[in-house]
Amino acid sequence: MTRFKLHLLVSTVLAAGLFSAGAQARGNADDGKELATKKYACASCHGANFATPIDPSYPKLAGQHQDYIRAALLAYQKGDHPTFGRSNAVMGAQAKPLSSREIDDISAYLASLPPALVLKR
Amino acid sequence: MKYFALLRRSAAVCALAGSGVLLISLLGIAPASGQGTAAAPAARAAAAGEPVGDPARGLHKAATCLGCHSIPGYKADFPSVYSVPMIGGQNAKYIENALKAYQKGERRFPSMIATAKSLSDQDIADVAAYFSSQR
Repeated sequence: MTRFKLHLLVSTVLAAGLFSAGAQARGNADDGKELATKKYACASCHGANFATPIDPSYPKLAGQHQDYIRAALLAYQKGDHPTFGRSNAVMGAQAKPLSSREIDDISAYLASLPPALVLKR
Repeated sequence: MKYFALLRRSAAVCALAGSGVLLISLLGIAPASGQGTAAAPAARAAAAGEPVGDPARGLHKAATCLGCHSIPGYKADFPSVYSVPMIGGQNAKYIENALKAYQKGERRFPSMIATAKSLSDQDIADVAAYFSSQR
């Protein structure tokens, strides 16, 4: 194999890997279930199945877009950051200990649930 | 170059938000005389002295919201790229609190701050009632 062909092969494989990584959803929903229902007890406020929050001021999360949940949790972690933050006493405290891996897993799990939300006009 | 592209994009967002504000204020006047179809949560809100949301009135005030939240696959692109949340069927109280948090600066998303600031408490109650009534 010529040096050029090898180079071409390597770049193709790298590019393919890059694209599939982009298309693939982040996180592991099974791990996320463990985190959301047990370790961080998210369901104790957002409700069983994350479709029936215990208080109407809390959001339904089941079936919500994964990248939105991820962005929201990251925003709560950033707290008072002037561009990316969200200030909320409860969610700030809840989001603080999460690793980025855990955020990926939790958001993957919540997005995988039977949707409690709709997109229509 | 990248900077100018970003600038153009934010200008477009601002223009969009601006026209939305205008639209909202125009639409807000017309249906204000419409009949309220308030139910159980309405009585609770009324008792607390809060505005009572009307889904029918909310529809007429939701043009700006629908332009992002009702387009499948729509993503916000500043300050970071992610899907705008689905809000159909969401709890009304949560939507109200989120809009008020944008007004107060507790949530910092530029186009939502602009949109939320264009809404009165009554508008917020109506829009929240509209989206929470979706099934």
